[in-house]
Amino acid sequence: MKRQLTLTTEPIDEPALLAQRSLSNDMGAVVCFLGVVRGTQANAHIRALEYEVFQRMAEHQINLLFDEMAKRWPIESVRLVHRVGLVKVNEPSLWVEVVAPHRGEAFAACQWLIDEIKRVVPIWKKPVMGDG
Amino acid sequence: MRVTVCFYSYFKDLTGCAQTTEALPDGSTLDALFHKLMLRFPKLAGMQKSTLMAVGVDYQDRTCVLKEGDEVSLFPPVQGG
Repeated sequence: MKRQLTLTTEPIDEPALLAQRSLSNDMGAVVCFLGVVRGTQANAHIRALEYEVFQRMAEHQINLLFDEMAKRWPIESVRLVHRVGLVKVNEPSLWVEVVAPHRGEAFAACQWLIDEIKRVVPIWKKPVMGDG
Repeated sequence: MRVTVCFYSYFKDLTGCAQTTEALPDGSTLDALFHKLMLRFPKLAGMQKSTLMAVGVDYQDRTCVLKEGDEVSLFPPVQGG
């Protein structure tokens, strides 16, 4: 399974990521997920989220998740980009792409990966208040 | 032995630092380290049940036996995505 992991303070460049997509002739499903910063948190307006990461451990834990994905599903490739630092409302904080032969495994693997990221990857977010 | 302890997220606010060192008897566990840290940083006491612990880049439970030079990280539940 091909894998690509990026933790970055730069905005997620979707067109560039889509242009870099590659899949073999046997692949029939590409699932993409975009997690976006919402403008409210606990009924309060926020301006952004400040993401903090324990980088070495986050990379290690995500690679362990990729290993588990490869065991569970016939995935050809997975690409994951997670923003860290300040991410404004409406901007994406997470981009995931899973390429597989069929939609069932592609959806299942993508859902599982995102759930596990939220459970084990050492990333935290703090709301930045205000409308400015 | 001495170990390095790193705090993440609001644990840095609770302790007032991002990193410290702690001296422990040889053979000490993560649980023993946490109890010693609670004496130095009493605000950690309220986080006993929700604290996650790692040694290096792997999660460990409180029975994990530490060794000289280990880097221990303590942090609240993660929130990626």
